[in-house]
Amino acid sequence: MSAPRGRRATRRRLGIWAQVIVLAVICVVWIYPLLWIVSASLKDSLGVFSGGLGLIPDSLHFENYARAWRDADFGLYTVNSVLITLGTVALVVLRCALAGYVIARRNFIGKRAVVAVLVATLFAPQGLTIIPVVELSDLMGLLNSRTGIVLALAGTGHVAAVLLYAGYFSRVPRELEEAAIMDGAGFLRTFFRVMLPLAGPVTATVGVMTFLAAWNNFFLPLVFTFSRPDLRTLSVGMLAFRGTNSTDWSGLAAAGTISLVPLLLVFLALQRYFVEGIAGAVKS
Amino acid sequence: MSSVTRKVPARRRGLAARIWSERWAYAFLLPTLLLFGAYTVWPIISSLYYSMLDWKGLGAERPFVGLDNYREAFGDPLFWKSLGITLTIIAVTVPLRVGLSLLIALVLNNPRLPLARLFRTALFVPAVTTTAIIGVVMGFIFDPAGGPVNQLLLDLGIVDQPVDFLGDPASSLWTVMGVHMWKWFGITLVYWLAALQTIPATVYEAAKTDGAGNWAALRHVTLPLLRPFLIIILLLTAIETMQIFDLVLTMTNGGPFFSTLATEVYIYQQAFANSTPRLGYGAALGVLFGLVTLAFAALQAVGIRYANRARSSR
Amino acid sequence: MTTFGRRRFLGLSGAALAGALGVAGCTRSSEQEAATAAGGDVLRWWDHFQPLKPLNERIFAEYGKANPGVRVEHEVYNPNEMGQALQLAFKSNQIADVHTIAGLGSSEASLVASGWFAPLAGQDTIRAKLPADTLLEGLHVFDGKLYTFPFFTARQYATLNWFNRELVEKAGGDPDNGPATWDEFRSLAARITKDGGGQAYGWIQGLQFHERLQSHVIELAMSAGAPLAMTPGANEMGLVDPRTGDYAYAGDPFVQTLEFLLSLVRDKVVFPASTSLDARTARARWATGVAGMFFDGSWNIGVVNGQFKQFIGKVGVGPVPSPAGKPVLYGAPAPGQLFVSSQSEHVKAASELLARFTGPEFYKALATYMDQVPLDLEAVSTADVHPTYKRAVELFGQAVRLAPSPIVRNPAVAQVMTEMKEPRPTLGEITQGILSGELTDIRRTLREHAGKLAAERERATQVVSKKGVKVSLDDWKFPNWRPGEDYTAEMYQTS
Repeated sequence: MSAPRGRRATRRRLGIWAQVIVLAVICVVWIYPLLWIVSASLKDSLGVFSGGLGLIPDSLHFENYARAWRDADFGLYTVNSVLITLGTVALVVLRCALAGYVIARRNFIGKRAVVAVLVATLFAPQGLTIIPVVELSDLMGLLNSRTGIVLALAGTGHVAAVLLYAGYFSRVPRELEEAAIMDGAGFLRTFFRVMLPLAGPVTATVGVMTFLAAWNNFFLPLVFTFSRPDLRTLSVGMLAFRGTNSTDWSGLAAAGTISLVPLLLVFLALQRYFVEGIAGAVKS
Repeated sequence: MSSVTRKVPARRRGLAARIWSERWAYAFLLPTLLLFGAYTVWPIISSLYYSMLDWKGLGAERPFVGLDNYREAFGDPLFWKSLGITLTIIAVTVPLRVGLSLLIALVLNNPRLPLARLFRTALFVPAVTTTAIIGVVMGFIFDPAGGPVNQLLLDLGIVDQPVDFLGDPASSLWTVMGVHMWKWFGITLVYWLAALQTIPATVYEAAKTDGAGNWAALRHVTLPLLRPFLIIILLLTAIETMQIFDLVLTMTNGGPFFSTLATEVYIYQQAFANSTPRLGYGAALGVLFGLVTLAFAALQAVGIRYANRARSSR
Repeated sequence: MTTFGRRRFLGLSGAALAGALGVAGCTRSSEQEAATAAGGDVLRWWDHFQPLKPLNERIFAEYGKANPGVRVEHEVYNPNEMGQALQLAFKSNQIADVHTIAGLGSSEASLVASGWFAPLAGQDTIRAKLPADTLLEGLHVFDGKLYTFPFFTARQYATLNWFNRELVEKAGGDPDNGPATWDEFRSLAARITKDGGGQAYGWIQGLQFHERLQSHVIELAMSAGAPLAMTPGANEMGLVDPRTGDYAYAGDPFVQTLEFLLSLVRDKVVFPASTSLDARTARARWATGVAGMFFDGSWNIGVVNGQFKQFIGKVGVGPVPSPAGKPVLYGAPAPGQLFVSSQSEHVKAASELLARFTGPEFYKALATYMDQVPLDLEAVSTADVHPTYKRAVELFGQAVRLAPSPIVRNPAVAQVMTEMKEPRPTLGEITQGILSGELTDIRRTLREHAGKLAAERERATQVVSKKGVKVSLDDWKFPNWRPGEDYTAEMYQTS
């Protein structure tokens, strides 16, 4: 009786370890290009081209990092990136949560129209919207400012976020809200004290998605900072390494490594919330 | 307040009163109406207008030409070719990415699997890496002269001549699609993991007590429960795949000889990168592309509804 | 149905652009932090001459010393990014006092006509510092007023044959001059490839980015006898046979050029990654010694000197290879580089600053950066530069003649060119297609291409003349042009 069960357990354990090995191989292949970036960031200008599978540089050139940090002003760019990204995330979360809440819960005139416009724009290609966005920002005096970048980043798209919030709020039992109102809480209080905290998982999801998009966005910050290089973000600043006639590959790799680190940290810290958040949000 | 306490038939209340009673709703909507209106809706409307201009750059004059741009677009073989390429990309990468990531997600979802978190992170990292860097690095990775991929293929004896992955029109599109899948695989994986978390452990236990094996539990319990997520994940993935633009631009710039010319790359080239930029024509191409996308989305929606009705009537 | 999706700022979110465009020094420096906020007399200066940055900033410093209280804020753009920067800045009244016009895709004439620039102050002093026939109406002078002037020479080309002396010598070639003819080039490339045994190839080129490839094709075709009249900065739409005014792409020189390049591909002497390289990457690979020969402009040695110093001892240079070994090429009249914006409040100061970009001292200093060749070729002979740079300039002097330019004859031609829509595939893309085997019939493809260009030019000419502008296809004809001779400023008057 116990012998077969033991054998089955062993087989299962073997199966798991086989899976681990296969997964480990896949993951090594997966992050190989990223390891390659780190490796290139430590090579000299011609060493980058040495080719082959190996990742260990012949000699270490940490000056690439110094160059990236100092010459290309990556310190300043990091500050800009952080400010712009956090501003965008905060604004997106706030505006999408507010909109999602009333769409889910209130029956106001014009609701159908709002939802229809939101859904329709999900599929509109936005490749050309940069020009009207710039014209508008120019009109409002928002070019060449971080505020302008944040507003534009937060205003473009994010329909998914609104719909995620709407979907989530529509499943919160009405009694919760009514109880809060009974306690004398107003509309605002109800939302900020009861509903928004409940939507934690959605906020995590929207936060991470927006973070990724804003952090990586290139064209908008580029266009908005044409005459103010001191406002540039990391993804734009990265390009200082590509000249007309030459490219500083090792410096570029160093810059890439630098810009990757904060994102990795954010994901590692938040990944549980992220996964659970999407799970919570997607359930509808 | 009034809407809660008083019970006046909605129809008899004045319009203004009804709006007033929902003033908070409008206040809550205001930030989105302003921002979304200014930065999303307005630009789309502007594009419609721009698409009827002969407009060669921001400083230049922009005479109105009516539907000329659209007429030209219909006769533009490169536009149609680019549509074909975009559709190929979606048709190939979306099902592959969704399917493969489900497979990995099922494995990773096993609570007894060691290192699952590490694996999950490793698979997700490419998604957070800046595309500009990816584009540059992939040039090195797929280099036919000593690049790691070719080195490996040669060492293993899989090929005897290096493959010119990005330089040969026959392989460039496949390479770009592969890299795109690699980069965004982690996102789809996380969607699946999230979906799997919604299935309570008790469901499995129930299946186990019924004597179902692992395989049977997967087939008869897990997969059916995942079906509603499939549609959403397919859609999210399809929408993301439309944004292959930046990757193509860094890796191949639409070449060699148009083999990777996705529609948005072509639009970008026409509007910004041509020797004489043609913003009006680019806008027209954008509008047409939007309509095509919308048509496909509608078709998909109809298909799904039809399938659901067919299933529920069974 | 609940559909939702995350839509990033799609199309142009392209971190991408970067790659395709390559963005030059999005500089930094503490001066710029003060940027627009700072008061006082600040001259803002935008150009795209990354390698010349130290030189420019030295001149700015000298100017600042001579004019206390005036400070120059300098920003270097990548040419491709620059066009959009300029358009946006011009529209929003933020443009620099002095700037180049790279990437704008418009001719000087049409920019002047749309009010972009102010005429230079102190015109006569500047004129006096320049060789008499440098300045042309329609290019630098409009309505008799000077708007700009060149500081690079017209006598240069981008298809010098740069080679690795070691590899060439080992393969039995001439390590001082390289191969002269196409046949020699081909056989030398084959020998280098054979000697290399998979480690080295005969020829490397950035074939991915077709714009540069196109200039090589045009210059090789000129070396094969194609006569060309040109409009500076106007790409293939502005290049015609000056005798007939017709597009010359269907002629034998172009067919032979493509056949020559194709033969290199068929011989398998091309560095295998070439098809996925741009010029920058190709140069770097070449500097690692994996290929013998590489076509590039005079700036190649400047970049090697700055980035790949360990390789500089092996660098040799020769003329563009040609069928007969005696190439004659034509160079478009040198356009002006910098303009003073009409939005500037410091036209006088800006013009004075610009005037410092003339004269023997400046040219000599310019030469030391081994980038583009200074207006006065003589300045190079006394400058402290690498011998290959001197040699390159010598080759330019021997081979390059001034081409006539339709736009100088009749500035309204600029409007025709603006009206023209560039037919795709372009010559560069066609070359890519032929080299990759996607296109097979060279002669037919080129004939169709020339036909499309001609039809488009005719249409554009009609559109423009309908607006009452005097312009015709005859503006592209130069009956008094002589092959192998300079087309001088006076010849425009008599044609």
